[in-house]
Amino acid sequence: MVISPLRRKVLRDLRRLWAQVLAIALVLAAGVATLILGNGAYASLSETRAHYYDENRFADVFADVTRAPRALLGEVAEIEGVLDAEARIVKLGLLDLPGMVEPGSVLFVSLPETGGLNRLYLRQGRLPDPLAAREIVVSDGFAAAHRLGPGDLLPVLMNGQRRDLTITGVALSPEFIYALGPGQMMPDPRRFGVVWAPRSALEAAYDLDGAFSNLVLKLAPGANPDRVIEALDRLTERYGGVGATGRADQISHAFLDAELQALWAMVRVLPPIFLLVAAMLVNMTLSRLITLEREQIGLLKAIGYSSRAVAQHYVEFVLLIAVVGIGIGFAAGAWLGSELAQIYARFFTFPYLVFTRDPQLYGLAAVITLAAAVAGALYAVRSVVKLPPAVAMSPPSPVVYRKRGAWVRRLLNLRQTGVMVARHLMRWPFRTASSTLGVAMAVAILVASLWPFGSIDRMIDVTFFRSERHDAQIVFGTPEPLRAVFAAQDMPGVMVAEPFRQVAATISHRGREKTLAITGRPAEPRLSRVLDAGLRPMPMPQAGLILSEALAKTLQVRPGDQVTVALQEGRRSTVTLRVSALSVGYMGLGAAMEIGALNRLMGEGALISGVNLMIDDARAAEFYAAARTTPKTELIGVTSLMLSRFRATLAENITVMVTVYVVLAGIIAIGVVYNFSRIALSEQGRELASLRVLGFTNREVSGVLFGELATVVLLAQPLGWLIGYGISAAMAASFSSDLYRVPFVVERDVFAIASLVVCAAALVSAWAIRGRINNLDMIEVLKTRE
Amino acid sequence: MPDASDIVFRATGLTKVYRSGALEVHALRGIDFQARKGEFIVILGPSGSGKSTFLNIVGGLDRASGGQVWFEEHQLTALDEGQLTQYRRDHVGFVFQFYNLVPSLTAHENVQLVTEIARHPMRADEALALVGLQDRANHFPAQLSGGEQQRVAIARAIAKNPEVLLCDEPTGALDSATGIKVLEALTQVNRAVGATTLVITHNAAIRDIADRVIRFADGRIVEETVNTVKKQPSEVAW
Repeated sequence: MVISPLRRKVLRDLRRLWAQVLAIALVLAAGVATLILGNGAYASLSETRAHYYDENRFADVFADVTRAPRALLGEVAEIEGVLDAEARIVKLGLLDLPGMVEPGSVLFVSLPETGGLNRLYLRQGRLPDPLAAREIVVSDGFAAAHRLGPGDLLPVLMNGQRRDLTITGVALSPEFIYALGPGQMMPDPRRFGVVWAPRSALEAAYDLDGAFSNLVLKLAPGANPDRVIEALDRLTERYGGVGATGRADQISHAFLDAELQALWAMVRVLPPIFLLVAAMLVNMTLSRLITLEREQIGLLKAIGYSSRAVAQHYVEFVLLIAVVGIGIGFAAGAWLGSELAQIYARFFTFPYLVFTRDPQLYGLAAVITLAAAVAGALYAVRSVVKLPPAVAMSPPSPVVYRKRGAWVRRLLNLRQTGVMVARHLMRWPFRTASSTLGVAMAVAILVASLWPFGSIDRMIDVTFFRSERHDAQIVFGTPEPLRAVFAAQDMPGVMVAEPFRQVAATISHRGREKTLAITGRPAEPRLSRVLDAGLRPMPMPQAGLILSEALAKTLQVRPGDQVTVALQEGRRSTVTLRVSALSVGYMGLGAAMEIGALNRLMGEGALISGVNLMIDDARAAEFYAAARTTPKTELIGVTSLMLSRFRATLAENITVMVTVYVVLAGIIAIGVVYNFSRIALSEQGRELASLRVLGFTNREVSGVLFGELATVVLLAQPLGWLIGYGISAAMAASFSSDLYRVPFVVERDVFAIASLVVCAAALVSAWAIRGRINNLDMIEVLKTRE
Repeated sequence: MPDASDIVFRATGLTKVYRSGALEVHALRGIDFQARKGEFIVILGPSGSGKSTFLNIVGGLDRASGGQVWFEEHQLTALDEGQLTQYRRDHVGFVFQFYNLVPSLTAHENVQLVTEIARHPMRADEALALVGLQDRANHFPAQLSGGEQQRVAIARAIAKNPEVLLCDEPTGALDSATGIKVLEALTQVNRAVGATTLVITHNAAIRDIADRVIRFADGRIVEETVNTVKKQPSEVAW
């Protein structure tokens, strides 16, 4: 095969300019990798989920009731739009594993019927015998955390009764892809597991003979879920129904949705940044190359190459850079994708989750990247086409500088070398501006990736150190008389006990409504407090309701407004209450009132749902043991365990995430700064060598070039902070949901770290170019005309 | 015999060999040379005779392979890179064929570039006046003719009040009328500043304006002539 001379020139140019080529290729690769990573993870996660839901018939509507007769199921199935309905028993129990000091809970779920909904994916062993009273299947993560398998015994407390259950199998369920225990912030498979048991065994244990406590519904395609929910709520009202929810509010589904949303945001933000910067770099570098090769272009045209052939030559040069970038990007994207799949495997339990290998995805990323590179090349290549050969072969007309900005010079007291820097930067304003923007993007990416840590700290500080200050919480299966507080007070290690009451209610205001739990607290709570905007604790109002800001926003109410409160428990009365104030909080939606006032509304006497406790650390183990065996205990929450799990999980992922983002930002910063300085050096090499001849030291001459770099990098900092702040604000808004709100806090150190990383990358580039400045050939420069 | 304290340059047995692979090119094959303070010396010789190499070594831009060069009491052949830079900075003014002006600085600023780092500079305006360019001080090089650019380069070279002025083909890129103006500027500053001036040229006609003429051939000095009568540049036939 004969390689045409122009092709050979492309290959030689690539080799000669390898460092610049690599710098551009890496920026393109970052674009390709983030495209593949974001789109691929999105596709993998959403398709796997859809397939899993489909295969295992994941329900569309979920409803809890206190106790409803099985006969009700027939009526539910009659609701228009319902394809299938299943009555289940879902109850919390406590773990009683020997050797496990801290409290843990299990969620008992009756086994799906044959052909029913939310079918299990059996990973090990077999399903329990429907008639066996003590056979169970446990969730995969829980079994792994405790090294349990078929044949092992699981000691639990069901409705206060200790039982040893025999594990026959290990399974997964589409209902618990994100298995978050009640009151937990992060999945903790050691302290929370799902246990599927035959219906008959649960009926017996929880006194639910011929009854059920939970409904799951599959809807017919095209059915309106809101209508079904409305009809279902009417049916379950009598049986303690607290309002059915659709998939959107199902915990596991909602968390997956939040993750998908974050991925989608990443896909929209990151790849465009990289591709834009890469296009700019291509334009800069190619323009300079074409300027340098002006005479060659003239010659090629003079000897008969068409403008098109010459233009194509330069486009091929750029396409090859893009191909290198795409190759690196494919590898990086696939590798990051498999890493991300592993991180997902820690949070989400799927029967299988493989990072996509869809060739279409890779093809699309390649096409988009090639397009970006060619778009960057077009402007520069246009000048090749327009250049007449005769003009090309004569020397270019000298660059015209202008005397401008004398005030800047006086202000900064610039020396002549400083004036050189300023004039050169201003002579190519587009290049200066685009390089500044490029470096600013590196800063922005870092700001946008680092700010959440400050927000999480704020969330933890506000939630656990100012608001929910208890060490532990006991939740009763059913409300207990107030005297249970005294019983709790007498438990070992308890220093302070504070009661609370929770009642499910639907709060509505002008057509907007939200169902949630209203929490009743003592008038001046000490352990579980509600905070005002200044983070000061608020006393509980004797009449009226404190709403969290997020809830107030959803309902569009302001303090002083009246809201309708339909209680979903007890006598289910509906009252009108005044919103007395708004509170700050980041977890879920909140409504609070004084416990006595809430009990008066309920009219059932002085009842409590649980107690918040302050525990003596030294006696924590004794307390856990005692709490477990208290008959009415349904759940024991321990703040410190939850928090340490939260922090540990975060720490595991922080390292990975920060490393990836620092590398990405570094690639941009190095790519931009290196190319910018190579071009500046190429344009001014002659002047700089002349300065050396005149007696300027290496340091002074480097100073001229580095002065340009420093100006660009410095100008980029505030711009980068601003862009990063904007991206972060948009992220914070898009992350917020009913599950949690992300406070938008950008600590000053985020800006500082972002700038430090980018400046370090710039220094690396400067260092890489220093040798070239020191080796400027003074003699050569004197013999040649520019 | 000149007074020893009057000697600015002294070179003995100066050689320069360029190596490229197995090939050795002897650019200088043993040069002995002296220059007195304020002397105006023209160096003639064909291309490749070693005159530019000689000037570059004397100017501290290049290093000798053997022999010694002294500038006043400094042995240039013993100086390191940094000391050579300092030497150029403090003592040498350069003028080149292609001017080597900084295109982003005006005439005045190009001169200031040097006066800012010199120990005893003259005022930039003064230097420009010496070459007759005070009216063009605010023009950029691209706005000046070739002769004007070369005169700016001369002004830049002398503004530091250098002990030596080294010119490599200063009129090489100019037509004769312009070349004469440049030579006039050179002789005038030689008188005004008293700098020892070495001028390399292809142009034998220029020899008559020198105090002394040296001819290079094949890396050696082959002829040395002292002019008893110096002509004015305007009297030179080109």
